[in-house]
Amino acid sequence: MTPLRHRRRLAAMTVATASALFALAGCAAPAAPETAEFSDWDAVLSAARGQTVQLWMYGGDDQGNAYVDDVLTPAVAEYGVTLERVPVTDTRDALNRVFTELQAGRDDGSVDLVWINGDNFRTGKEAGAWRCGWTGLLPSMAGTGADDPLLQSDFGTPVDGCEAPWHKAQFTLAYNAEAIADPPTTLAGVLDWADAHPGRFTYPAPPDFTGSVFVREALASVSGGADEVPTAFSQDAYDELTPALWNRLDELAPHLWRGGDTYPANETELGQLFADRQIDMTMTYGPATLTALVADGTYPAQTKVLTLEDGTVGNASFLGLPVNSDAAAGAMVVANVALSPEQQAKKAEPEVWGQFPVLDLDALSAEDRELFDALPTSPVVPPYDELSRNAHGELAAEWVPALDDGWRQNVLPR
Amino acid sequence: MGPGSRRRLAAERAAPVTWAPVARRTGSTREKLLGAVLVLPAVALALVVVGGGVGATALQAFGLLPVVGRPRPGTGAFTARPGELFAAIGVSLSVAVVATAVAVVVGTTAAVVIVSRTRSSRAVATLGTLTVTIPHLIAAATVGLLLSDAGVLPRLLGISPDDWAPWVGGPLWGAAIVELAWKESAFIALIVTGTLATRIQTYDETAALLGAGRAQRFRHVLLPLTAPTIVIGAAISFVYALGSYEVLWLLGRTSPEPLPVLAVRLFQGVSLDARNEAAAVALVTCVLALGAVALTFAALRRTATWR
Repeated sequence: MTPLRHRRRLAAMTVATASALFALAGCAAPAAPETAEFSDWDAVLSAARGQTVQLWMYGGDDQGNAYVDDVLTPAVAEYGVTLERVPVTDTRDALNRVFTELQAGRDDGSVDLVWINGDNFRTGKEAGAWRCGWTGLLPSMAGTGADDPLLQSDFGTPVDGCEAPWHKAQFTLAYNAEAIADPPTTLAGVLDWADAHPGRFTYPAPPDFTGSVFVREALASVSGGADEVPTAFSQDAYDELTPALWNRLDELAPHLWRGGDTYPANETELGQLFADRQIDMTMTYGPATLTALVADGTYPAQTKVLTLEDGTVGNASFLGLPVNSDAAAGAMVVANVALSPEQQAKKAEPEVWGQFPVLDLDALSAEDRELFDALPTSPVVPPYDELSRNAHGELAAEWVPALDDGWRQNVLPR
Repeated sequence: MGPGSRRRLAAERAAPVTWAPVARRTGSTREKLLGAVLVLPAVALALVVVGGGVGATALQAFGLLPVVGRPRPGTGAFTARPGELFAAIGVSLSVAVVATAVAVVVGTTAAVVIVSRTRSSRAVATLGTLTVTIPHLIAAATVGLLLSDAGVLPRLLGISPDDWAPWVGGPLWGAAIVELAWKESAFIALIVTGTLATRIQTYDETAALLGAGRAQRFRHVLLPLTAPTIVIGAAISFVYALGSYEVLWLLGRTSPEPLPVLAVRLFQGVSLDARNEAAAVALVTCVLALGAVALTFAALRRTATWR
């Protein structure tokens, strides 16, 4: 071996060792959270003063961004808390940031609150990424229904005080009434309608959030109703129920937009196709956005919400607090203010964000109840009680990756 | 000592009859030392950033750096999704090769036009310079708006979305290739112009005085002298296209996924095991890119001007 080659090998080995050491330095386990750090709410309030809270949330919803910046941020500033919104394209980006910081052993994490639910919550809980048992401290929690199933379990994962409720959502299909005079009334009817009108329907490719919900709704429909699909995941149930689902979606695929050759990557791309009149139906877990999209002319003026007889799936979304947040008290104050009747009512205004409240409206004081009764109605989106008629709960979070993977293996590569 | 260096030594002894534009000169020990000290900060930074990043990715890919639980060394992450991985390699390599080939042809032609001092050369130079400053994300969004089914171009031409070829999200990755080729051709045009603007021009003029036609001068003078620049430019474009996420994600299709899109999807997956698989895909991308760079240097050593 020539000296030059020898030197090169030595250099390569040095690089490899150095990078291994750098990486291993990050392997130290994060410190366990101090659960009884705050004795009462006053202790939280005093600790929160002067803290800056970074709220990581999906940034693709202009109304949501404006609500946080213009309504929630000034409200928490009264408690001496500075709220900074960090927009992410996918909630998993925030979760990945938390994981990466935990891997690196950082206990001064940059993520203080995450708008979250479902499989992301479960994955974080499995990895011990959430601070738990803190929501009991929040005075605003008294306004929520103690036995509300949507707030007890998040896609089948017990909430255990690891996240504070923020709003409720209802999966919604919308159609262009100009193109569809006689809309279907069940999800099976929607699939049949799509078969009969080639190229006018599609759905985002799982694991996109919206596409993933659609596949779960289709599972409920082909299985003979939401009650036929057990909430808890089991391989047996999966093996028994999914062949019919993959068959139906496979049958449907040639009749989709572009013949099912490709799918929109997310709800935004699906909405773009609907706005361009390339398809006649769209779907969203955030029907609040529909009002503004119709009003500004993006969506057809005749856009209507499709209320299905078999109901659609509903869920609640939450604010999660990572264990390694360096502004935990401030984050709790933000979660508490966000849950107050004033904020929940403001957020429910269609002009503001139109998100459904998580509070138990019947249990509110007359004065607080008045805030919700005075809410203006939307010309496009029916009120929550009509939208959530015959609604069913979400399946356990384990179903989500299983169905997403199954879809990619069984429907995509046709 | 390899045959290459022996040949080089022989050439140096025979010296100074080299026809390369810049003659090689062996520096003194002091000069060599000074040179090494000057590049040291850049090399150290590159080692920390690239070595640390690739090192951490390799550790994850081989199961040595899990999010939770004990490290379980193994190569399972590489073999977990053979079909998807091979499809991704195929798509990524094809898109990068086609985009780079188009960029080289368009870029080199543009460079020749720019140095030709004709009326159009200034316009081409301005276009090239402007294109280089546009970020890829903006360029991808622009190409998407222009070429999608209900985009600006089909609207201007009065073609209905159903009749418009599927450029965006189509089976041939048309829009993604257009974006990469457009941006990279401007980059190649500028660096080739830089080479052509050196004393190569005097060789070109000499050849012209000796009666060589335009095509002959291009074939026998300009092309051999700019070949190293073109090869390096092509390698940079190729490696960029291979690692590009946003362009292929915005303009591509659901399946098959290119390597970076597959890696990001797996990395963002809810299953914590998928992070190892994502790291494995990223490592495969790195190896392909390094392979392309190695081939480039091997090719460069063969070109006359490099010596």
